[in-house]
Amino acid sequence: MARKRGQTLQVKVPAPLDANEAAQRAFEHDRPLTTHNFVEGEHPIVRIEHLNKTFDGTTQVLRDINLTVWPAEVVCVLGPSGSGKSTMLRCINLLETPTAGHILIEDQPITGLAKAEVNKLRQNLGMVFQSFNLFPHLTALGNVMIGQTKVLGKSKEEAEAEARKQLEAVGLADRADFKPAQLSGGQQQRVAIARAVAMHPDVLLFDEPTSALDPELVRGVLDVMRDLAKNSGMTMIVVTHEMGFAREVADRVVFMEDGVVVEQGVPAQVFDNPKNQRTAEFLGDIQ
Amino acid sequence: MHFAHTNVRGRAFVALVLSCLGLIAVLAATPAQALTTNKATARPNQEGGNGVVGGIDTRLTWEGTVGDDEQIEAITLELPQGSSFAGSTTRVTVLDGLTRIPIEGQASDTDERLVVNFDNPVPAGSLLRLEVEGMRFAEAGGDCAVTGTYTASGSQHELDSSDSITVIEGTWLQRAVAVLDANPAVEAWNSNQFLGMFFKPQLILTSLFSLFPGWLVCLVIVICAYPFAITLGLIFALMKISNNVVLRAIAVVYINLLRGTPLFLQIYIMFFGLPMLGINIDNNILGVAVMAINSSAYLAEIFRAGIESIPQGQYEAAASLGMGRLQTMFNIILPQTIRRVIPTVTSDFITSYKDTSLLSSVGVMELMMFAKNATSVSGNITPYVTAAIFYLIVTLPLIKVVGIIEKRMARSERGSGPRPKLTQPTVTTEDAEQVEGAQSVLPNDSTDAGVLMAQAVRAAVGGDING
Amino acid sequence: MANMTRRNFLSICAAAGSLALVACGGSGTGSDTTTSSSSAEASAAALTTVVAGKLTCIANMYFPPFESMDESTGEPQGFDIDLGKALAEHLKLECNWLPSQQFDTLVPTIKAGGTADISITGMTINDARKQEIDFSDPYIDSNQALVLKKGSTETEASLNDASKKVAVQAGTTGEERVRENLPNATCVPLDEVISCMTSVSTGNNDALVIDLPVAANLISNSFGDLEVAQEIATGEQYGIAVSKENPELLAAINAALAEMESDGTMDELEVKWFGTKL
Repeated sequence: MARKRGQTLQVKVPAPLDANEAAQRAFEHDRPLTTHNFVEGEHPIVRIEHLNKTFDGTTQVLRDINLTVWPAEVVCVLGPSGSGKSTMLRCINLLETPTAGHILIEDQPITGLAKAEVNKLRQNLGMVFQSFNLFPHLTALGNVMIGQTKVLGKSKEEAEAEARKQLEAVGLADRADFKPAQLSGGQQQRVAIARAVAMHPDVLLFDEPTSALDPELVRGVLDVMRDLAKNSGMTMIVVTHEMGFAREVADRVVFMEDGVVVEQGVPAQVFDNPKNQRTAEFLGDIQ
Repeated sequence: MHFAHTNVRGRAFVALVLSCLGLIAVLAATPAQALTTNKATARPNQEGGNGVVGGIDTRLTWEGTVGDDEQIEAITLELPQGSSFAGSTTRVTVLDGLTRIPIEGQASDTDERLVVNFDNPVPAGSLLRLEVEGMRFAEAGGDCAVTGTYTASGSQHELDSSDSITVIEGTWLQRAVAVLDANPAVEAWNSNQFLGMFFKPQLILTSLFSLFPGWLVCLVIVICAYPFAITLGLIFALMKISNNVVLRAIAVVYINLLRGTPLFLQIYIMFFGLPMLGINIDNNILGVAVMAINSSAYLAEIFRAGIESIPQGQYEAAASLGMGRLQTMFNIILPQTIRRVIPTVTSDFITSYKDTSLLSSVGVMELMMFAKNATSVSGNITPYVTAAIFYLIVTLPLIKVVGIIEKRMARSERGSGPRPKLTQPTVTTEDAEQVEGAQSVLPNDSTDAGVLMAQAVRAAVGGDING
Repeated sequence: MANMTRRNFLSICAAAGSLALVACGGSGTGSDTTTSSSSAEASAAALTTVVAGKLTCIANMYFPPFESMDESTGEPQGFDIDLGKALAEHLKLECNWLPSQQFDTLVPTIKAGGTADISITGMTINDARKQEIDFSDPYIDSNQALVLKKGSTETEASLNDASKKVAVQAGTTGEERVRENLPNATCVPLDEVISCMTSVSTGNNDALVIDLPVAANLISNSFGDLEVAQEIATGEQYGIAVSKENPELLAAINAALAEMESDGTMDELEVKWFGTKL
């Protein structure tokens, strides 16, 4: 798999595997690479099988990605810009449509779902965006409530109680009535996290949640994410450039480059003793 | 003929019989009736109405028919006490069928009496009309019948009394105009051709009242039309951005046809085209419809642009919460769009309001129509200036409002402007917030160990989490 | 020459110059041109007009047979148009017809000055208008007509009812007539007589009151489904609108009108446009 930068890789998009067979193989392959403490008999919550993504029919951004995520596992995805990390993440909740391959959430294949089922699926996959994407016409409280009332069909009172609880959890209980424009970037991102968590999804997807923030605001957001990782029991897939965070919090670190998963493993191994030359170079550049 | 003017319809036959009897009685009493009164009318001079008002100038029209074997040498018209012919000018028209007979008359007037001596006798069988411009009825009003005498073959006879003209009591407005008329400063002002043509005080005063109903019609039309315009505009905007090719095509054709043709043309097509298709709708309702349809095309484009200006991230955020397309549109996209388009929509409202003036060309009695009538009667531009005032009364504040909204929006997008109070009054310092954040960060089901760990982490990283 | 304007003075200079040129050139056809131009200049110098040497006329061009526009060329045509041309000829001016304007704007236009010298537009002489502008001596007599859809049984009496709508051309004596004599009916003033006719034809309005010659002309040419139900004898007279600032022009026009009456020009025009002397 090792190759030099700039070397073009002719990947023939493989025929999708049978879902069960693929799952079996992935299961055997990925298991030892994480610090996650398995429960006996549990199934992976996210399985990505031979995922390929091509933009405009020419630009291939994902090449044969295979990844399995276990319930309550925290996976950090690292890699240089343009390596396809975000695209992979966006494929998981179908913000991007995979060109080829399988994605299974809780053993259910999600490619080719009808619209209504896609909406149902996304309720289970919370997403936090790089640019927050709060709804500017709603207050912080409204942002956290709207998914609960409009999608989950909760009553206003129930939703508000939940929203206040989640705002408190991210340390913004006192900012409930503020509009997004009146909050700092870090506060906005914390509201966005509260918005995602309030839906009680099975999986939380973070798409470079701190990349758009001024350095002094990053820490507050990471604190919130760390708390979630250690205490909520939620499955998290975090695309990030925060090496310290990944080393401290992740059960497993995945390193991607040029649309390929180059290396994955427990943080200590990947950071301190990378098997792959590119990983080493990248980590060297960063540190 | 008397009975020709009878308004009683249900009992037409009875009336006819009675009238005939009456006529016979009259004929029996004065067999040599040589000049029969046909009618007497007065030009409506009420501001904003069709009534005849006492105390201000109007024109009395009296019409009579000369008998078969008589010639009229002079005629005297008389009005009830308080009326005045003083200062009036009299136009004499003598007609044989539709042909004019050149006869002039010398009129001399006293207050209630007008004497007209003809230079040649008015021939037998002809129609005699006297138009007395600049006369006034009694200021107190009431029913005024025209009576009088005429001279035929050297002898004087009584005229039939005409049907009475209903005269309304003069109002303070008329008296105010009379005061202005008498004021030398006003006269000097009006003697300047420009000022007198565009800003004649008397006309400004009277047209403020006479144009008022037209102004109301304008407002009602545009206010009724706008909700429909907004609804239609939204529907077509959504159609234009939909994935369905047919819906999109319909929207594109609708929007482009309406935006690409003058409103004037659309008005003509609706007002003359629909009746030809056998669809007859009240003019005002049709006016509302035209304005609504025309505006909807512009609003559709405004809404479409507004919707498309919402960043993709908003759709993605909504989608990631599990919202469907419609839910996203109505809960997330449209509320933001509405905020963004309020200034443009208000501008379009102003345009629509002004465009109602085009409806005057097809007989909708709106502001411009009243102004046009007032101008064509007076031959003076001032009523148009008054109309401009009425337009500005609405448009200037709206323009101001647009400015305020735009400023406020610009401010709120920058995040400045007034902030709401903090929900929990005790939390003011960074420290307080940190401690509280650390305690509350943990979900309810977390363990004590988790709490301790979180606090430890916080203590370790320290610093500012508030940004 | 007391009221000679600078512009007139200049044009006379120009004419003198051209005369000199022609004299120098000794062209064979020169004599014709010079005589006509010098006489026109002499007359124009006596009369102040908006454009020196031209009689600028204005009208609402939708009032056949008095004025209308030729369907193919768009040129103005009609009784009033020819009258304007004949007048200009008598006054030794060049006749220039401006584009059509709304009827109600014509009196203010003449009063304001600067645009047109006269308006010949089937305008009835009345006292309200006389306060703003001067009228020439009447040049033709007219009457009003009640126009109905063929087969309609309405009369002036039956139309005087709140449920009836009577169309008129805005600012005309027809409108005055309806407002004064049919106070209960709804008077619907429209911009042009064609719109009025159309609105009765489509049933939008119940009737129309308009000048008889115009109604007769339009019905025979394009509105076969309408009829003149009643000729309303009003004996009104049309006059030419002239600014009160220009009494010399008014006097010249009155003189010309009298001349045209006696030399048969008027009769010719009447025969041409109404098929008979009036």
